[in-house]
Amino acid sequence: MTTQSIIDQAKKEKRLILTEEESKTLLADANIRTTKIAAASTRDEAINKADEIGYPVVVKIDSTDITHKSDVGGVSVNLKDANEVGEAFDTVISSAKENAPGASIQGVTVQEMADPGVEVIIGLSKDPQFGPVLMFGLGGIAVEILKDVAFRIVPLEKRDAKQLIREIKGFAMLEGYRNLPAVDLEKLEDLVLQVSEFAWAHPEIAEMDLNPVIAQADGAIAADARVILEEESQ
Amino acid sequence: MDATLKKKLDIGFNPRNIVVVGDKGPNYNWLKSSAEYPGGPTYSVQLDENEIPGIEELGIKNFKSLHDIPEDEIDYVIIAVPRRIVPFILKDCIEKKVTLVACYTAGFAETHEEEGIQLSETIINMCKEADLAMVGPNCLCISNPKVGLLSNTSQRTGPGGFVGVLSMSGTHTGTMISALTAHGMPISKSVSMGNSLSIEQSDWLEYLGEDEETKIICMYLEGVRNGRQFYDSLKKVAAKKPVVILKGGQTADGARAATSHTASLASPFAIWSGMFQQTGAIGVNSTDEIIDVAKVLTMAKPVSGNRLGVIASTGGQSVLVSDASAKHDLTVPALEESSYEKLRELFTLTGNSYRNPLDVTGVLNTAEEGDMMLNVLADDPNIDIIAMEVGDFTQRRNDPDFYDNMIKNFQSIKENSDKPFIVVQTGMEDVVLKTRETLKEKGIPSIYSFLRGTQALGRAKDYYTAQAEINS
Repeated sequence: MTTQSIIDQAKKEKRLILTEEESKTLLADANIRTTKIAAASTRDEAINKADEIGYPVVVKIDSTDITHKSDVGGVSVNLKDANEVGEAFDTVISSAKENAPGASIQGVTVQEMADPGVEVIIGLSKDPQFGPVLMFGLGGIAVEILKDVAFRIVPLEKRDAKQLIREIKGFAMLEGYRNLPAVDLEKLEDLVLQVSEFAWAHPEIAEMDLNPVIAQADGAIAADARVILEEESQ
Repeated sequence: MDATLKKKLDIGFNPRNIVVVGDKGPNYNWLKSSAEYPGGPTYSVQLDENEIPGIEELGIKNFKSLHDIPEDEIDYVIIAVPRRIVPFILKDCIEKKVTLVACYTAGFAETHEEEGIQLSETIINMCKEADLAMVGPNCLCISNPKVGLLSNTSQRTGPGGFVGVLSMSGTHTGTMISALTAHGMPISKSVSMGNSLSIEQSDWLEYLGEDEETKIICMYLEGVRNGRQFYDSLKKVAAKKPVVILKGGQTADGARAATSHTASLASPFAIWSGMFQQTGAIGVNSTDEIIDVAKVLTMAKPVSGNRLGVIASTGGQSVLVSDASAKHDLTVPALEESSYEKLRELFTLTGNSYRNPLDVTGVLNTAEEGDMMLNVLADDPNIDIIAMEVGDFTQRRNDPDFYDNMIKNFQSIKENSDKPFIVVQTGMEDVVLKTRETLKEKGIPSIYSFLRGTQALGRAKDYYTAQAEINS
């Protein structure tokens, strides 16, 4: 599916929040690196998709009603073979049903498991004064508790992406520490610029959350993504 | 910027006549500050019979309506009537084809009550439909001190200046005008922008960006009406001349105060910081900082490195200036061996240090010695910036001419060295107060503490670095 047909489909269904699969397809369409993803509605289909993608994989709940998947026990990571994928399918579906009763569940998504690295967040939102702005921060506690984030007005230039990443207090984490190698900052900057460009080209997008993006020694890849459309585009 | 608006503002800043509508006693701020305007007549419009004698006492002719004023073209009208009357006066201004209107009246969207918001909308629409250029509302209007166009009674007509002031607060407009002028940086033009309903912040910025007299722009902002346009304008203007911005409402409480003051929208301050980085504008946190940064940018050579060479009065000051420097991304490095060789001849006492900072306790006794120290720092390749303290502990009571001669040395360093040089004044003794005026006259930047000095130098260094990146 192309970007436009995904957006049209969501509009038709009166949905503002795109599914993870739709969001990632949109980003991949813009050449933004995301982990491979395939939807599966049955246990067997999940295993088939995992075989196609290649192990290890991640299995996540696929529901248009559930946005915070791990909060409902809807994420299972580092699955190494068909057996583990089958079990994960059952667990993820049953915990989602238990923790989010009433949510309509389409099945699961099976996803490529990204190589380890430092988890960062790239977000896009619309500021009432300045329009689309891009946020960057380290994942987890750094963003949630310490609010260690920095902003730029979209569209960004090279200089902006470079400074943005270096502006956060936790930048040293990206330069390598203990046994973690330094991340490829240039690739991370490129990813920031791609997200900025994508957002600038699509004013119908209200919000985007690439969380986490795994910043690795040799690249950067979005392991989860959520795109929310503007209300007026309905 | 829009050529029609530019022309209107050119006329508004140099009006051939001024009309003040609705000013009242006993203060008559607007009439009094316009009464002596040398560029043309000042008229009053006032219906209240009780006010008219007081107005005529000022030597100003009063009329009952704008339409009665015997001028074919009215260049500048100041409106100071109750808020409900504003639309009626604006209607007269539109009919009379007034070039520029400034609305002092407050009580619009910033009140967050229905009538104020409604009136605000009415004003916006009236200005838009008739293409009327209006300053404010909720503002202290504009000034151009060179031609005697003043915005309050304590402001003075003076020689043309080079600092443009744009502020959403009347108080901060006044403070910036008086403080910048007092510190040797007179004003080219000032605008108290208020709610900026017709002429927006970006318009003012672009206007002063194109104004040849204005070499640096100092702004106080609480929010902007058209953020995207403002960002584009800032990007354009900040690449041409320094734009120093004090953003009010950086905290949740401050932002709430800002919406009640100028009806400004709140955006996370982090977005503003990001914008300053992107545009090369200089974000500051106080009006003091505006003064300090403007001094360094307009009076010192460009700051191209962060290595500070310091002549401090005492050991205690040496420690604090080193700490202050580190806080603002400056270093206080060791000097070259050849510099130490020269300094060793002077620093013969036990207990003081010449390792940078130069702690001059007991060793700086003549202006010649001071000159030598300054030149050692000017010649040392490890040093990018020179700072010297003039404070309570650098009084040389046995040599009454010491500072007259030192100031000559300061001038010579300023003229002959490519390195930026600042004087840091500490304490309140005679030496500080007396040298202050002379330093100002000679255009030597003097800043009132090491913390403020290093902060301003740090900002200036960031500014020049950003300019080099942006313009490369």
